[in-house]
Amino acid sequence: MKDDSKNVVDMDGIRVDDDHLLSMYIDGELDAERTISLAGRLKHEPALRARLFAMENNDRLIGKLYCNQSNESGRDLASLIQTDNVAIFKPMTRWRELAAGAIAASVLAVVALSLTTGQSTFNPMTMDRSLAQALERSPSRASGWEHLDSKREFRSVLTFPAADGRWCREFMLAHNESHWRGVACRDEGTWVNQVVGSEVFLERETQYRPAGAGDIEKVARFIDETASDVALGPQQEATLIASGW
Amino acid sequence: MSSLTAQQRQSLIDELPRLKRFCLSLTSDPSDADDLLQVTVERLLEKGMPADAHVAKWSHRVCRNVWIDEIRSRDVRNRYAQSEGAVEGAGTTAENADESVQLDRVSAAMERLSPEQRAALVKIAVEGCSYAEAAAILEVPIGTIMSRVARARKALIEDLEWKAEREA
Repeated sequence: MKDDSKNVVDMDGIRVDDDHLLSMYIDGELDAERTISLAGRLKHEPALRARLFAMENNDRLIGKLYCNQSNESGRDLASLIQTDNVAIFKPMTRWRELAAGAIAASVLAVVALSLTTGQSTFNPMTMDRSLAQALERSPSRASGWEHLDSKREFRSVLTFPAADGRWCREFMLAHNESHWRGVACRDEGTWVNQVVGSEVFLERETQYRPAGAGDIEKVARFIDETASDVALGPQQEATLIASGW
Repeated sequence: MSSLTAQQRQSLIDELPRLKRFCLSLTSDPSDADDLLQVTVERLLEKGMPADAHVAKWSHRVCRNVWIDEIRSRDVRNRYAQSEGAVEGAGTTAENADESVQLDRVSAAMERLSPEQRAALVKIAVEGCSYAEAAAILEVPIGTIMSRVARARKALIEDLEWKAEREA
């Protein structure tokens, strides 16, 4: 193969080889003098000519590839853009479907982790009427607990908007000295748990053992990846709750 | 920031085909390109742009930022393993050099370019931009465009030559 370094030229302070010259020649970006020089070389150097043809052929194929695919958009974005009163309803993208699948998998993984610790058979994933009502109506607080039912106590921690348009709430549950932290999102009026992790739990009577970093990190990571804006302040949250979300 | 004006909306609609090709050059995957384009448009509609903004430049910048956010949150190694599998399939099934096979090979070779080289090459070779136009849209110096395009073409030739030799 020809050693391109023998044909390295200085062009406005930049060292360019034959491939650079050919590329600029194809794009019509070479000055007149260098164009004439290169055209002369192309007449007498078959290898250089072959390289030019290869580049041009690849360009032609790339053009076909991208023009074919860009004509098949499949989504009516022009209509979305033209709408005067745009309410962003965020139609589902494949990215959001993949994220939802990943969330479901992480929920199962965390539940499995929690249940194998042997500390409790309580299933924190039970989204029953009591928990759903608490999520629907209770304001967030920094401390204190709200009696949920005979077994659980509840505290809502914060409310934030998700990138897909849903409202989500981080919350805590307490059961027999064990604490759980999770996030639930409101999906067309129904609260659905997204991720739950154990925080602290009782081991051997009064000895508390903090949860592994992985559990709480899962919750924090979910919020970090899902939230489209900062958490609501108390007044904004109260207004949202009063309006029925 | 104000929402889009009527003129900006029309300019954005006119820009959609070029923006779609830009998305494809960044992602090298048609499904990802569709998602990237949709999320980019959603963000532009939500956040708006300054009244004097250059719509093409602004939308390309937002698109790049959306893609950077996306690749930070996904498992890149899994996707790389998937694209490796696709490449192997394209290289071993071809018996002759008809155009559909050539398209597969070029497509796979394009995936192996860096997103920057791919985006620059698509702007020049597909959309017919001048180096100055591409430099303005992609917000890099003209010399960078020249270099990226040349290196992309060089890499494609050498990649495809190597594949042909391996199959011979």
